[in-house]
Amino acid sequence: METKTDQRIAPQPDNQSKCHDPYLRCALYGASAACLGITGCCVLSHSPQGCYQLVEAAFGWQDADYTETLTLCTKLCEAEIVHGGEDLLARTIREAAQLTFPLMFVVTACGPEIVGDDIVAVCEEVAPEVDFQIVPVQCAGFRGDQNQGADIAFDAILKHLVPPGPAPRVPRSLVLVAPHANANPTWMGDLAWVKEVLQRLGATVACTLTHDTAPADLARIPTAEGCLVLSHDAGQKAADTLSREYGLEQWCRGLPLPIGFANTRAWLTELGQRLGAEQEAARLIAAGEKQVIEAGRRKGLEQSAMHRAPTAIVADATVGIPLVRMVTEDLEMIPTLVCLRSGQVGAPELLERELAELDLQPRVILNADVFQVKAALAELRPQMVLGSNLEYHAVAEMDIPYPFRLVNPINQFRLTDRAYWGYTGMLNLIEYMQNDWLQRWRSKGRRYHARW
Amino acid sequence: MDESRIAFHGPLSQLVHKVETGEMVPKLQASHAPPCKFWTAFQVINGIRHMAPVIHGPKGCTYSVGASYKMRGCEYRGVPLEPTSCTAQNEADVVYGGEGKLLEAVKEAQHRYNPELIVILSCCCSGITGDDVEKVAQMAAEEVEARVLAIRSEGFGGDFRSGYEDAFRVIMQLMEPRREVMKGVINIIGAREGPTYTEWTEDLDEIKRLVHGVGAHINGVLCGGCTVEEIRRAANAEMNASWCYDWGQKLGDLMEERFGLPYARTGQPYGLRATEEWILGMAIPMGLEKQAREFIRTETAAVARETGILRRCFEGKTALIEISDFPGPIRALSMARMAKEFGAHPVVINLHPYTVKERLPSIKFFLQQGEDPEVILTQGLFALGTFNASADTQGDVEMIAADYDNALYLGSPARQPGVPQMNLTTQTGYPQYGYVGIRNMARLVQSGLQHAARPRSPLFRKVLYGD
Repeated sequence: METKTDQRIAPQPDNQSKCHDPYLRCALYGASAACLGITGCCVLSHSPQGCYQLVEAAFGWQDADYTETLTLCTKLCEAEIVHGGEDLLARTIREAAQLTFPLMFVVTACGPEIVGDDIVAVCEEVAPEVDFQIVPVQCAGFRGDQNQGADIAFDAILKHLVPPGPAPRVPRSLVLVAPHANANPTWMGDLAWVKEVLQRLGATVACTLTHDTAPADLARIPTAEGCLVLSHDAGQKAADTLSREYGLEQWCRGLPLPIGFANTRAWLTELGQRLGAEQEAARLIAAGEKQVIEAGRRKGLEQSAMHRAPTAIVADATVGIPLVRMVTEDLEMIPTLVCLRSGQVGAPELLERELAELDLQPRVILNADVFQVKAALAELRPQMVLGSNLEYHAVAEMDIPYPFRLVNPINQFRLTDRAYWGYTGMLNLIEYMQNDWLQRWRSKGRRYHARW
Repeated sequence: MDESRIAFHGPLSQLVHKVETGEMVPKLQASHAPPCKFWTAFQVINGIRHMAPVIHGPKGCTYSVGASYKMRGCEYRGVPLEPTSCTAQNEADVVYGGEGKLLEAVKEAQHRYNPELIVILSCCCSGITGDDVEKVAQMAAEEVEARVLAIRSEGFGGDFRSGYEDAFRVIMQLMEPRREVMKGVINIIGAREGPTYTEWTEDLDEIKRLVHGVGAHINGVLCGGCTVEEIRRAANAEMNASWCYDWGQKLGDLMEERFGLPYARTGQPYGLRATEEWILGMAIPMGLEKQAREFIRTETAAVARETGILRRCFEGKTALIEISDFPGPIRALSMARMAKEFGAHPVVINLHPYTVKERLPSIKFFLQQGEDPEVILTQGLFALGTFNASADTQGDVEMIAADYDNALYLGSPARQPGVPQMNLTTQTGYPQYGYVGIRNMARLVQSGLQHAARPRSPLFRKVLYGD
């Protein structure tokens, strides 16, 4: 396959620009989000109080339940930065002993890491005094973005909480990795769909890293047969560790995640082959595609706006890369701008393969920041923008008629988890786009007053 | 009342004394953390138009304040998408220092955003490594068109309050010396970003109406969507009046000290008397007393029906006013004053010693006005763990409410106290200030009494308290 990486993809690495308007939070947030996916745990932020807001945001992103999961903060002040915060950390851990939880993660922010607090030593020292396990996670914000933070936390979880292998394998059992590194605001719907299709194909989920994961589930990791990375933004390092330490094979590697007909078909087909369930996979595909087609036929499928519409995709790699194929093949749109705000190792190459196969030549910006996106939108003036609330407001002063709010942040309340993956997910995406499309045509003013 | 559940019960002055003497420790438990100095400093400067921040820190601090304040501005206040930019400090910057990168970032911000003002904010990383943000700001100012300011706002460097105060102090650098006084013109000071949830637009609208009602004009609301030009000429206003005494007090004092600009020291305009004080506090120094008194007379007459309702509903009752996110402590104290004005006995629940310390000047101002309400602090307030604390406090509030005859609860609808309840969260979008506020208060208290016998929702109770 001929690729045109050099010509088409113009990476915008961090070091090319000194001024950033980021789309991402830092490693502390990402690590906290990964830790908070373990049910009943306590996350103690060894940080000034402002960083605690990141932990709180992570709590929300993981859909954690405040009746069972707890967050604490050492609230470091100048004194601890000057003299060290180890005593305060130890004191706070001891104070937390009055509460009931099986596991505490100690996540560290920039301040204590720069001044050299030895949190590993503190955790080891206090551990005998308390009846919960303590896992230190060194995830200062300067170590990277939220996806790198997730990887740091996965590393700590695997190191501290998973028993060493080898263990007897449970056939057709899988570890699901990084479901939350996904800009679908209700990514839990995607995870639920994955679990549902795995069950239909005869597989079991040994453990999810992480969401609603009981601490005991982690012990099953060495018994799994394979793993699925549910993100193009984080989790690959964990998958590599699972392969290296436990011999877990990564399935569906190199495939775009299952958004749209073709991606979902490819993904389910490989799962069917891996699980010896090719026929069931084929049934799932046939039934799913029929569901989408019938829904479009019965309820109406807007086509006029989409047909060959120049389109920008601004998203994380997890949603953004598979969306390229869906909008091109299924919705007849023409991606002219693809801005990925994140993406882990392998994501740029995956995008490049997709563009080559689809014979698309959009402008591509990797590691995009808000300024770069707005500037590109202003220059290219696509007709449609599939993105977040940021792009929704960014294009307000441009002649771009259709901003569709699909990825976080969207500032729209959703109480139920709505997937983007699979067939119902595809309908959800189309529904959001159609509703935002209609928004364009709604009367904003009134020409006259009613008489009554 | 089960005294074992009560940590303090007495007048406000006694609580203040206990905090000042160290008898009550003004410290929040580990499960409760307000924003840090960086967040609040950003919140202030975010209320200036055409301002580009350059946050000298990692991306996490930046995205977080952007997600909170930038999006709120776009969604709810008609603000266009504005930048929240940073130097994205990484491990190398922490090791080698990032002053050079910061200078380049400021120049790039000028090029990218064409702002009127660039504000550098330091974060923990740059604060610890000792990057001299003020010096960089001086250097940058010579190379870019915009004014460049720097705020030392590293999160560990102070509590949330110090961020507001330091930011207000720094923006004073934009103010030109007081020369020709703009007669009949005032600044509204102490706003941030806003109006935010706690200071929503409608309260500001009422403040503006009160100002215009006496024939005065507003130069700008600092910093609630003001321009650099409004800040620049702010010292030429005839006087300052506060949006909220608590937030305006520092800037008011500083501007008075530096420019001799008078500052109307008044509380929040809750109820008739406080509103009258607010109006006269502004109008009398400007020689507008006559107009003000006429305005007050007309407005008071216009809400006569509502003040009658308030008197009838509050008279002889115990007003239990609980502090939570909404209403916050200063609003709660202002409500206590209003409840007293209309004939109730106010009891303020859960004014945390930490809050007393952080807002001491405002609380002392309140005491100086002769207000010294009864205060109850429950043990639940000091419990570790947000859920447990919340559930404990629900039980505590029910216990307190049962202990008073004729109690009326003022506060969050999240609470289920078992007595008539006024929904005084500020998120309902109904102004509480001034005469418009009186109308809403009357409506709310009537509704609270009318529907007191209706059962509360088990759905809400189970979501909030799990029982």
